[in-house]
Amino acid sequence: MSEADADMASQGSDPDDEGLSDSSYQDYSDEDINDYYNYGPDDMEQDDRGQIFDPEAFEYFLFNKEEACQFLDERVAELTQTIQFSPQVSHTIGKVLLQAHQWVLTEVMERFREDSVQLMVDCRILPPPSRAKQVEPPPKQCPVCLQAQEEKDLLSLACNHKFCTDCWQRYFQVQVEDGVATGVECMWSDCRLITTEDFALSILKNSPVTLRRYQQFAFNDYIKGHYQLRWCPGPDCDVIYMAPQPLGRKVQCKKCKTCCCFRCLKDYHVPADCPTIESWLRKCADDSETANYISAHTKDCPKCNICIEKNGGCNHMQCFQCRYDFCWMCLGDWKTHGSEYYECSRYKENPNIANESAQAQAREALKKYLFYFERWENHQKSLKLEEQTFQRIQHRIKEKVMNNMGTWIDWQYLLDAANLLHKCRYTLEYTYPYAYYQEGGPRKKLFEYQQAQLEAEIENLSWKIERAEQTDRGDLENQMDITEKRRLTLLRDFSES
Amino acid sequence: MMASLPRRIIKETQRLTHEPVPGISAIPDEQNARYFHVDVMGPSESPFEGGTFKLELFLPEDYPMAPPKVRFMTKIYHPNIDKLGRICLDILKDKWSPALQIRTVLLSIQALLSAPNPDDPLANDVAEQWKVNESHAIETAKAWTRLYAMKS
Repeated sequence: MSEADADMASQGSDPDDEGLSDSSYQDYSDEDINDYYNYGPDDMEQDDRGQIFDPEAFEYFLFNKEEACQFLDERVAELTQTIQFSPQVSHTIGKVLLQAHQWVLTEVMERFREDSVQLMVDCRILPPPSRAKQVEPPPKQCPVCLQAQEEKDLLSLACNHKFCTDCWQRYFQVQVEDGVATGVECMWSDCRLITTEDFALSILKNSPVTLRRYQQFAFNDYIKGHYQLRWCPGPDCDVIYMAPQPLGRKVQCKKCKTCCCFRCLKDYHVPADCPTIESWLRKCADDSETANYISAHTKDCPKCNICIEKNGGCNHMQCFQCRYDFCWMCLGDWKTHGSEYYECSRYKENPNIANESAQAQAREALKKYLFYFERWENHQKSLKLEEQTFQRIQHRIKEKVMNNMGTWIDWQYLLDAANLLHKCRYTLEYTYPYAYYQEGGPRKKLFEYQQAQLEAEIENLSWKIERAEQTDRGDLENQMDITEKRRLTLLRDFSES
Repeated sequence: MMASLPRRIIKETQRLTHEPVPGISAIPDEQNARYFHVDVMGPSESPFEGGTFKLELFLPEDYPMAPPKVRFMTKIYHPNIDKLGRICLDILKDKWSPALQIRTVLLSIQALLSAPNPDDPLANDVAEQWKVNESHAIETAKAWTRLYAMKS
């Protein structure tokens, strides 16, 4: 499988991971969206090499099993070549040492230089010195099956607890059935030494089925244990992500199209970090009953009170009856949502809350949560509705081209716009959990300001895309540029570095 | 019909009969050699002193790779033993080792009667009593021992 370069990784969510597919979309390549990053405006922050700092840039690779195996073997080889192992220490022990340290090579090397014996004891390859001194009388029988055995037929780890091959084999079979592989311990009670892969191989050489399962489970243990590797969370997907720097950034599987955060494997969630999104999702699950009432799909027009169903992603609503322009979120006049003054995304806390009763504080806490939840959920719904917009656009483009109104290439900008809208709104959605957990203060004020700016520009963009045929192409492209810049500014200032 | 009994089980059974552990008897069932009728005497200086506790012990197919299944048949007031007689003991679960035997398991259970561990409870209500009011809990354990474990 080929590499995914940094640019690929920094792309926004492609709408096709939402299940959109249309023949005309196939013509629409990822390259087009990369052009956004290449516009290279002068006022953007630049790094030492004069490149624009992209807060979402992330280097990662997609491995298949063979590539991952090779990657692991190379790490082991690197370790065994760098440190001077005593003769009895091998490739297979290198694996145990690395697995015990999340495969952080430098840590193993450092600990080896400090005290190699202690490292071997801590990694359960050698018994603790206090135990090693105990001289066991040579057993005449295997302590498990209690059959008389010749010395040469009894096998042990470094602890010298000897058991016969048959017992070892049955023991491995039971352990492997339970899904244990790299963690199989010595059979002796209280002995915590672990078996190496070579040992398992020698025991299981005559039971190919168990051996194959052992190897699968061991490989799985290594992938889960390695700080730079992750299984793709897609259903039945066997792709492995590798990131040199394991950060909470976006990765996308080329095979199953799953798109997630590398670190926690949940849906990508900048600017919120992994612990924040975990608490947020848990909270949402816990409070879903309370929050249920807000999932109603209709609201009344604040002016003429006619019932309105939201059928598009844009939050700038216009009542079809009285033509009143209002905001779907706060039901306020849209005029107050201009780019200079957009307050709808900011939660105003009761300044006197500390002196109120416990009940009032609880009510305030719920109110605060619902404020952020409503906005979070609303953007989620808008994303769904905008998928329909995307399909409508594709349909309209097809119609136009078939009627000789321009060529495919003339209309690509509309798809670009819809994709960009998706990417921006997705980020905006995740600014709400971030804001919920953010402490008050000047940084929160700045965040809320930028969030409000982004919100305003996204609604402008959405409004213009829904009315694309009346909107001038230059005007739309200008709006796209502004919106994406707002998004990047927010991420640059507030996502984890 | 059952598969022939592994040598290990035969040897363990022989030893249990010929050199019994003090205070413990384990007799294989006449129909099934993997099933044992066990009597454990309450250890002296414990609230269970004077009682005889019946247990069942079964050796599963995977024994000794898998631990034996053990359960109290006599009602007992103990923080690590629940209403159904199930026992919370590490060597019966994750700390099982094939090198352990029926004999060592029963000795551990006897030791558990001498030293209840309310910090790792199975019966939460009992463990709570044991922590809050130990002397009262010990009195209840003694009363239950007289009531259920001392049949004339």
